[in-house]
Amino acid sequence: MTQTNPTAAGGLRELISFRIGAQEFCVDIMAVREIRGWTAATALPQSPSFVRGVINLRGAVLPIVDLAARLGFEGGETTDRSVIIVAQIGDQVVGLLVDAVSDILTVTDDVIQPTPEVASDTAKTFVRGLLAIDGRMISLIGLERVLPDLELVAA
Amino acid sequence: MSMTVLTVDDSRTMREMLRLALTDVGYRVLQAEDGVHGLEVLAGETPDVIVTDINMPRMDGFGFIEEVRGDPQYRGVPILVLTTESDAEKKNRARMAGATGWIVKPFNPVKLVDAIRRVAA
Amino acid sequence: MDPLAAIRETFFQECEEQLAELESGLLAMEGGDTDSETINAVFRAVHSIKGGAGAFSLEPLVRFAHVFETALDEMRSGRLAPSADVLKTLLRAADVLADQVRAAHDGAPEDEARSAALAEELKALGPEGASAEVAGTEEAWGDFAFQPLTAVEAAPDAAGGAWRVRFKPRADLYAKANEAALLLRELRRLGDAVVELDASALPPLADLDPEAAYLAWTVTLPGELDETAIREVFEFVDGDCELEIGRDGDTAAADDADDAAPAFDISALLAKVQAAPETLVVEPAPAPRPAPLAKAATTPVDAAQPNPAAANDAQAAAQRKPDTAGATIRVDLERVDRLIDLVGELVINQAMLSQRVMEAGFARASGVAMGLDELEQLTREIQDSVMAIRAQPVKSVFQRMPRLVREVAAMTGKPVRLVTEGEGTEVDKTVIERLADPLTHMIRNAIDHGLESPETRAAAGKPAEGVVRLTAAHRSGRIVIEVGDDGGGINRERVKSIAVERGLIAADAPLSDEEIDNLIFMPGFSTASEVSDISGRGVGMDVVRRSIQALGGRITITSRPGKGSTFTMSLPLTLAVLDGMVVSVQGQTLVAPITAIVETLLPKASDVHSLGGHARVIAIRDSYVPLIDVGMALGYRAEPLAATQGVALLIEGEGGARAALLVDAIQGQRQVVIKSLEANYRQVPGVAAATILGDGRVALILDIDTIVAVSRGADSLRAEKRLAATG
Repeated sequence: MTQTNPTAAGGLRELISFRIGAQEFCVDIMAVREIRGWTAATALPQSPSFVRGVINLRGAVLPIVDLAARLGFEGGETTDRSVIIVAQIGDQVVGLLVDAVSDILTVTDDVIQPTPEVASDTAKTFVRGLLAIDGRMISLIGLERVLPDLELVAA
Repeated sequence: MSMTVLTVDDSRTMREMLRLALTDVGYRVLQAEDGVHGLEVLAGETPDVIVTDINMPRMDGFGFIEEVRGDPQYRGVPILVLTTESDAEKKNRARMAGATGWIVKPFNPVKLVDAIRRVAA
Repeated sequence: MDPLAAIRETFFQECEEQLAELESGLLAMEGGDTDSETINAVFRAVHSIKGGAGAFSLEPLVRFAHVFETALDEMRSGRLAPSADVLKTLLRAADVLADQVRAAHDGAPEDEARSAALAEELKALGPEGASAEVAGTEEAWGDFAFQPLTAVEAAPDAAGGAWRVRFKPRADLYAKANEAALLLRELRRLGDAVVELDASALPPLADLDPEAAYLAWTVTLPGELDETAIREVFEFVDGDCELEIGRDGDTAAADDADDAAPAFDISALLAKVQAAPETLVVEPAPAPRPAPLAKAATTPVDAAQPNPAAANDAQAAAQRKPDTAGATIRVDLERVDRLIDLVGELVINQAMLSQRVMEAGFARASGVAMGLDELEQLTREIQDSVMAIRAQPVKSVFQRMPRLVREVAAMTGKPVRLVTEGEGTEVDKTVIERLADPLTHMIRNAIDHGLESPETRAAAGKPAEGVVRLTAAHRSGRIVIEVGDDGGGINRERVKSIAVERGLIAADAPLSDEEIDNLIFMPGFSTASEVSDISGRGVGMDVVRRSIQALGGRITITSRPGKGSTFTMSLPLTLAVLDGMVVSVQGQTLVAPITAIVETLLPKASDVHSLGGHARVIAIRDSYVPLIDVGMALGYRAEPLAATQGVALLIEGEGGARAALLVDAIQGQRQVVIKSLEANYRQVPGVAAATILGDGRVALILDIDTIVAVSRGADSLRAEKRLAATG
């Protein structure tokens, strides 16, 4: 599978782990700007269902991506526990809607196992590796494809 | 104690070139963009030497030199004018007005410093 | 960046400024300005370019600038009259100079033939036999490393004897702030020097005139030194002193010893000084600086040539023209942009605060509410002031047009005069930058298509010279720019037939004159074969219109057959803020730009009719206008809203085309800060941008034209673009 980015201080990486439904995931903490509670988003017309809308983050307009839906799960209703992870993806800042944030993990590169070959589009597109921590399986997510690609179809 | 030079020229390029040449040899540079501005800067601080262009808006080099020479405060401050090679008339006029010396444009940084050393400690 | 490279960039930037000054000055003179300050400014512009070019060894530029400068010098000293022909030549010279500057900047070759030809014309203007050649710039900066002054290499001189320099300053030398001590110091740097002071002419202290010069020196220097090096030290004081340079053993040197000083005799000096109570200490080092120079200074000035007149003129001119620029300060553009962002957020925050306070139930007249009103006032003022920082006069765009006009006029063979008005009208920098291209197209179009040939004009009783008018003015919070010509006007029959031919309108469509005129903005109206090289290689007016619309503006054309046409553009003063009408659609809050809205109305059932399958129209006075259900267009609802339950916004879009947008309700009117949707997401069809309302929530700003365009061709925006989710 694709190699994860080389780390800074001697092979240690910091990851932030979060839960969606029954599954656990994590992302590189370097991509994370802040964590916020859920606020109602303004819907965007003609957008894919996993784009919940946009919110105001101190004057900037931020799209909210329902990560559960994006990863292909049944979209859940947001509850009060729903959390928005504000992440930097390239030049854009995006809010990722998840159920809850669990932990900050500090691991060495060798802890990250390659993703097994499974017939899952989600796995292929987003999962960069697996971690086994305390008997839990945590999938490392790459964020580059989180926002929808644009396909312009002639009318 | 390093020398302070007041450069008066309406061309930004020229001011920058003067500044580069002078700071390179450790001088401190004050800048003004024409005669009027030059007098304002002078009012704040008396430099060790003044280098001024001739063609400037609002107050040209000649006017500026005359004003400076007319003010007892600045008597004794050497003034060098920037002049083009072919202009003997301008040079003379500057001398009449009280210029101490001149530097030919386009100026050679070594000669600039030479000229300054001839007139300022 | 290498400091010299940075200064070189500065030089080219400054050249652009000077070129602009040059052109505007020459144009002013063409317009009758006879102020000496104008011609001086023009001279200085070329002089400045020449100076910098010399420092960077840009030979062709220096040569041409020199010839140009010479001609201008003739003019400023009154020897060359600024006749119309002369000014035309000078304007063409200015164009050539500009091209040379750009060629020098880009490292591209310049049009030598053109430059040489114009140089000849300029020389013809100048004085007979004047040296139009400028000395080569041998002294270029690249050649010299910055090194401290080193002693001059002494060329061994066979003729041997030591140099003897006799130097006696006159009062004038000191009057010009020269100092003998410094000159002596410089002599010492040339080599081993022996300095002898001759104080024999020094009177007793009581008789000492501080303005006079009494001291003289004899300096002996090694014979290996080059005489020029020695003379150079005295370069500035030549004429203000007695200077004799000769070799030991020369008969000449011996003769020069008129005032040959005996060696410094201190006892003799002391004897003189005994008489006075104070001791006068004389050293070879710093000569006493004479005190009042005022007298010495003024005399030379009075004796000088016709300077007082010129000086007075300059002074008077300086007073006549109040310094309009005032004090200025250079600021990093990033800082200004950041400041504007912050102020935008301040406005939002203040609005949110006001809203929360209202919701909390404070009485309108309470201290809190009133305090908030003041805060709102203050915030608006701050916003206006901050916006004004980035505001620039349109002059910066307008000033490129005269040259364009000259070129297009030359290419089409039509004499054209450009009249501009309102150059000082200010607009936000963001808008100005995007004005250049549309304006260029419109002016080209006006000359190429608008103006008739000189023959046609003559036949119509019009002056041969066509006029293109470019004006800018503020009108109801926007900037209105007009490009007009006094040509033949739009040929409506032809336009209509082309439009029918291209399938843009039905052959029998009833169109008003105005609507026909605005057909030229339709995409596909002009094709490559239609549009001549001059008007831009296949770029039609539809591109221009889209650029203007992208700026949040509108453009229309009015025309009178035989009299001419006028393009009118209306633009927002800034791209950052929008006057919006806040509306509700299916529970969503949206904002429609007010500039697009002509009127609002409550539809009556009798006014609304079905047309075709699903489409509806609404009767507005005498005509029918498509009624667009915004909720359906944006996909917020699946079933159309009953017209009587909503509010219709009558809008005017593309060149006069009208439509009515059906929304649920109007919430009010606000000035909103525009927030980009593309910054963190993507472009969304039907949505121009976003804003943040008082309650902190994001509201979408409608892209009226897309909504209208789509409604003409499809049921909803779904057909135009589809966002495909991958993965």
